[in-house]
Amino acid sequence: MAHIPNEILQAMVDHAMDDLPNEACGMILIGRSDRQMTVHRVTNTAASPYRYEMSPLEMMKLEQKRDSENLDLFAIYHSHVASAAYPSPTDVRMAFFPPGETDNEPMFPETYYVLVSLENNKPDVRAFHIKKYGEISEESIESEN
Amino acid sequence: MAVTVNVTSVIEKLVGGQRSFESLGDSVKSLIENINETYPGFSDQILEEDGELRRFVNIYLNDEDIRYLDGLNTELTDDDTVSILPALAGGE
Repeated sequence: MAHIPNEILQAMVDHAMDDLPNEACGMILIGRSDRQMTVHRVTNTAASPYRYEMSPLEMMKLEQKRDSENLDLFAIYHSHVASAAYPSPTDVRMAFFPPGETDNEPMFPETYYVLVSLENNKPDVRAFHIKKYGEISEESIESEN
Repeated sequence: MAVTVNVTSVIEKLVGGQRSFESLGDSVKSLIENINETYPGFSDQILEEDGELRRFVNIYLNDEDIRYLDGLNTELTDDDTVSILPALAGGE
């Protein structure tokens, strides 16, 4: 089960709405000791309604921040503007390095992949782990105030 | 030329578990060859069989994507920083 504060869920939905018509993407970092979460918007360099590609330099800077401030990568999120909040075949393929090499360990086995769908009037947010061999495991979200 | 190489957590496994290290090269291509001598198998993960940079790997010289410079032939000078970063991507 993924425990995610309401304000963090709302921040991801707000980002998804702000970046319409394109997909939005970003990361949630969490403090190792205080478990405080922060949402970090990352530029979608693909700037597309069908695809996202996180700015590699922004990703690297967030990773350096993680190291220096004792944070973990809690979740990688992105939006689907016209489809369900479920990892697409591309999402699964790109969870591995090299892409599609699902016999390898996934790049971020402990990290939630959070999908924000805007296909209906009410945004839908769901969380998953993407595991070896491309297995998708949904983790229910427990929202907290 | 002596340059600093930064990698992310996904790539660090290929270079002995380091996020940042020093290496040598007059160009990005020769830098990759030198890293591969120390860490065999490195270049197979970074380059296609024909020697081109893999689509899902990004290399930055300082803050510039080498695809917008001279690709793998981009020249390096002392004290440059080269960042080798996998793509994090997806989509519906």
